[in-house]
Amino acid sequence: MEKLYKFLKYTFIILWTVFIVAPFLWAISTSFKDFQSVNSKVTYIPWLDFEPTLEGWRVLVKSPARGGVDIVEPYFNSLFVTCTASLISIVLGTLAAYALSRFTFKAGFVRNNDITFFFISQRIMPPIVLSIPFFIFLSTIGLLDSLIGLVVVYIVLLMPIAVWIMVDFFNRVPKELDETALIDGCNPYQAFYKVVLPNSIPGLIVAGMFCIIFGWIDFFFAFILTFTEVQLLPVKVVALNSSITPWWSLSASALISVAPLIIVAFVVERYLSKGNLSGALK
Amino acid sequence: MEYLMAKIELSNISHTYNPNDTNPTYALNPFSMTWENGKRYAILGPSGCGKTTMLNIVSGLVRPSKGKILFDEHDVTDLITEERNIAQVFQFPVIYNTMTVYDNLAFPLRCRNFTDQKIKERVKSVSDTLRLSSFLNSPARKLTADQKQLISLGRGLVREDVAGVLMDEPLTVIDPDLKFRLRRNLKEINEQYKTTLVYVTHDQNEAMTFADNIIVMDQGEIVQVGLPKDLFEKPRTTFVGYFIGSPAMNLFRSEILSDNSIKFNNGTIKTKTDLSKIKDKNVKFGIRSEFIKIATDQKENIVSVKVTRVEDFGNFKLITGKAGDLEIKSKVEREIPISTEELKLHLPAEKCCIYSNEMLVN
Repeated sequence: MEKLYKFLKYTFIILWTVFIVAPFLWAISTSFKDFQSVNSKVTYIPWLDFEPTLEGWRVLVKSPARGGVDIVEPYFNSLFVTCTASLISIVLGTLAAYALSRFTFKAGFVRNNDITFFFISQRIMPPIVLSIPFFIFLSTIGLLDSLIGLVVVYIVLLMPIAVWIMVDFFNRVPKELDETALIDGCNPYQAFYKVVLPNSIPGLIVAGMFCIIFGWIDFFFAFILTFTEVQLLPVKVVALNSSITPWWSLSASALISVAPLIIVAFVVERYLSKGNLSGALK
Repeated sequence: MEYLMAKIELSNISHTYNPNDTNPTYALNPFSMTWENGKRYAILGPSGCGKTTMLNIVSGLVRPSKGKILFDEHDVTDLITEERNIAQVFQFPVIYNTMTVYDNLAFPLRCRNFTDQKIKERVKSVSDTLRLSSFLNSPARKLTADQKQLISLGRGLVREDVAGVLMDEPLTVIDPDLKFRLRRNLKEINEQYKTTLVYVTHDQNEAMTFADNIIVMDQGEIVQVGLPKDLFEKPRTTFVGYFIGSPAMNLFRSEILSDNSIKFNNGTIKTKTDLSKIKDKNVKFGIRSEFIKIATDQKENIVSVKVTRVEDFGNFKLITGKAGDLEIKSKVEREIPISTEELKLHLPAEKCCIYSNEMLVN
């Protein structure tokens, strides 16, 4: 029974791994192919089936002259916008979430839960509803087609995620923890950053991860709110496509687009697998 | 300003959690109480009677709706917890997950800027008492639940200059053997450092063995404050009689017959209580099962019962008998042979308590 279970478990893991890894292998292989190797017959293994070339990658860096698109600058733009917006969202979101979790607010009929829902409702709305308001807003304050403008918009998109995750997380941290810190001699601010915050690292990581993912992959606002001055990676990757699909450069760009998320996943995984994600204080 | 080793005075305190409602329900009804410096107090009562609210008011986690708290005559009602120099231990272990055991214990001292030397000394002393010395360098989150609770307790005891250590059922998660030892340790700490200890519990044995003074609470009301002996022999209300002691006090509806006797079943019971001033003739009559003995040659206060059950507890036997409709319990030594049918029980007059409107008649 034990053995059967183990067998099934490992079989499943292997199948699942193949399922996850195969597209990457396919993309890696394709990124080193040229027109011939993609379009003539099916090829798999470099040197044996086809002659690898760096053409697909070169197109991404060296630019329009050879029919490619320069994605280096958009890449760093995307990194900057995503990281800045995520960081600000996490800081503001965590503070808001802590307040919502620990204090009681009252404004007319509005209570804590209503405020939390207000944040979450920002994500319930289809983004397209926001496109025109955002466009008009940014153009009014002169931030259309600029990095700062994008950061502002992404904060609006990401902060609800941070608030949502952190409210839930703080609610599961017993208030006795804060109270104990107060009794031990902290003032309320010290209690927050010396005791509650270190205990909330798993929550912060999860929230940060979601912010980074949602920020990084957003195409819609990056497409609508930028023109020529500033461009973000997803928009530029799409721009790679042309009448003859350049599978090689698309594969290469897909790989380097995914790279940061893979790195984040590996870093985060260490914290998540420690088993203290649940915030178990009892 | 910090108040070291203080007398704690609660003056006309009351508290409600819904002060804005038209009819606020009170978690604590108005009361006044003084906790002398260096004594051990136990607050005893069923769940939801306001015990925890009272502690939180003293530590400053809750601001009382009305009334004042004085530490050594200084009004601290408006001071926040941090400024009150109170230690509090909660029912469930609260530990700083990200720190080692040592850092956990040192935290209250570090927050108050003690020197490293002093911190080391205190942490060592407390960890020795609680047998945590061998874990000092392990991460606190790796410990078992009862060890975690020891850390919570340790953090409460590590500061020796506190105005009081408030403990909210701190030993619930700890196994009985260790519980017993810890209670004794707490007593020793109290005797050694003269720290005021306030101990909330719903376990009467814990309260009885731990405290100099027991405060019995029920439904936001302080029903009796006194020595274990007083609570046992002269419960001030029927609630205390019912709540303290195992089994609970025998309580019966009864009527006053004369200035010192009442009706029981079809007979008469004499008491040492002066009943002449009571207007309402309907009273309650209570007596501890410990004081009811099998009659030998007594003439008065004899009740004959039909034995319905005899339970052997090892060190004593508990007899349940029926006198008419009334069920009466008596604790007797286990060596005494008990006839299974009829039994004559003696209810000593000086141990009989009479309650009018649930309050003891003195």
